[in-house]
Amino acid sequence: MPGDSLIYKLDPRGKFLITFYFIGIVFLANNVASYGFLLLFVLFAVYLSKINLGFFLKGLRPMFWLILFTVLLQMFFTPSEHPIWNFGVLTLSKEGMVISAYIFVRFVLIIFVSTLLTLTTTPIEISDSIESILKPLKAIKFPVTQIALMLSIALRFVPLLIDETTKIMDAQRARGVDFGEGGLIKRIKSFVPILIPLFVSSFSIAYDLAIAMESRGYRDGEGRSKYRMLKWEMRDTVAAIVMIVITGILLMIRSY
Amino acid sequence: MNNIISIKDITYTYPDAVSHAIDNLSLDINTNEWLSIVGKNGSGKSTLTKLIDGLIEADSGTIEIDGQTINEDNIWDARKKIGIIFQNPDHQFVGATVEDDVAFGLENQGVPRPQMVEKVDAALEMVDMQDYKTRDPQSLSGGQKQRVAIAGVLATRPQIIIMDESTSMLDPKGRKTVLDLIKRLRHDQNMTIISITHDIEETQLSERIVVLDNGRVVKDGLPESIYNLGSELTNFGLEEPFSSQLTQLLRNDLKLPEGFLNEEELMDSIWKLSSKM
Repeated sequence: MPGDSLIYKLDPRGKFLITFYFIGIVFLANNVASYGFLLLFVLFAVYLSKINLGFFLKGLRPMFWLILFTVLLQMFFTPSEHPIWNFGVLTLSKEGMVISAYIFVRFVLIIFVSTLLTLTTTPIEISDSIESILKPLKAIKFPVTQIALMLSIALRFVPLLIDETTKIMDAQRARGVDFGEGGLIKRIKSFVPILIPLFVSSFSIAYDLAIAMESRGYRDGEGRSKYRMLKWEMRDTVAAIVMIVITGILLMIRSY
Repeated sequence: MNNIISIKDITYTYPDAVSHAIDNLSLDINTNEWLSIVGKNGSGKSTLTKLIDGLIEADSGTIEIDGQTINEDNIWDARKKIGIIFQNPDHQFVGATVEDDVAFGLENQGVPRPQMVEKVDAALEMVDMQDYKTRDPQSLSGGQKQRVAIAGVLATRPQIIIMDESTSMLDPKGRKTVLDLIKRLRHDQNMTIISITHDIEETQLSERIVVLDNGRVVKDGLPESIYNLGSELTNFGLEEPFSSQLTQLLRNDLKLPEGFLNEEELMDSIWKLSSKM
């Protein structure tokens, strides 16, 4: 559901670029002050979005094992002159603990900003932004509009294909297939009778859609006008300036 | 009367098929007419639609649309005059939201955005879906999706609307709203309607029925004359209208007027019978 907070209203192109830019500058931080500063900024952005912090924590969950693994690796494999504890190749030291804490904060920052982007931007807006950002590639005959249309149709058909999958699974279950039983190999094998009908029906949907599109006058990407319009406003410029200021402050407080 | 579509001696065979899908077929369709095309599966109905819209090319014969014989050069202009509503509402929804989908045809024609916004609003208003403008297709019922499809077609102002079994996947309520809408549009917008259907109720709305069989026109006439075929209708993939079945049964015992009676006429005659006694 689209919200009405400031972050929702920002131009998706700006949001998209700012998110990637921010992920880039996260790697500039290298001390408590700079990490703390970025963390404060992200929490402020989360506050501005008026989205419950719980949604962001949920975004961390699928990454839990990766984060844990990386943090432990840093903690025990950072070489140090003054180890607190030593066992074979494993070393626990103050430096190691600090670095692993930084890594942890870095993960949180990156996951929070990307969650912020996906929660406040609809998939179609993202596909519009990609089209707009890639537009210069048209000069080298890269089919930007076609790819954007492809992307938006793909997004549009995801729920339909999920429905289709459920239908096929039910039909196979009615014939006695048990999807949740047996070893890994057996379970993977039981998905073959889902995939094949799914392929067949996606081809027939694609054929129907192609006919429908052609009957409505779709030739190729050229000569088309665009209904959806992105509007760059004052607040988007402000957001971009804020990012420059953030970079400046970051460069000042990081240690060299 | 003017013919908006004039088909002369067309034949079409699908690649690798043994027999003709359309076999030397000729058909004239009048301006502002509501024509039903019926026939069983594989009789060539949908193939005929695709030929009219130039989505496939006939092996021989000519098709004239609005006085112009269609060929590769003017097919896109001809297509602008025709809007097709297909059978499956999900398989013809291109846009991510209702308004995007309605705009799709306009985008293809390169209509500038300010005009596009107006036309999208007007089209949505015509099908009474303006409140759903920003909704995504997943949240709509089948009937609503077909109404959006109709709006998408209307936005480009075609002269001809072809309904290719467009109500067959809808529930009775959805079907009624779509048919009422088409009836109203034809009246207000002066459109020609070609409806391909299995549904006998739908053919009753039309002025003329063409029956196809094996790619040929086997019957062509007023609905009454087609319904009078009685049980022969089942050979063409149509069910006899309920009133016609009832009339047949009652004829043994009651003296009913000759010919096809629709439900109201049948009711009237039965009522008059009893009052005479």
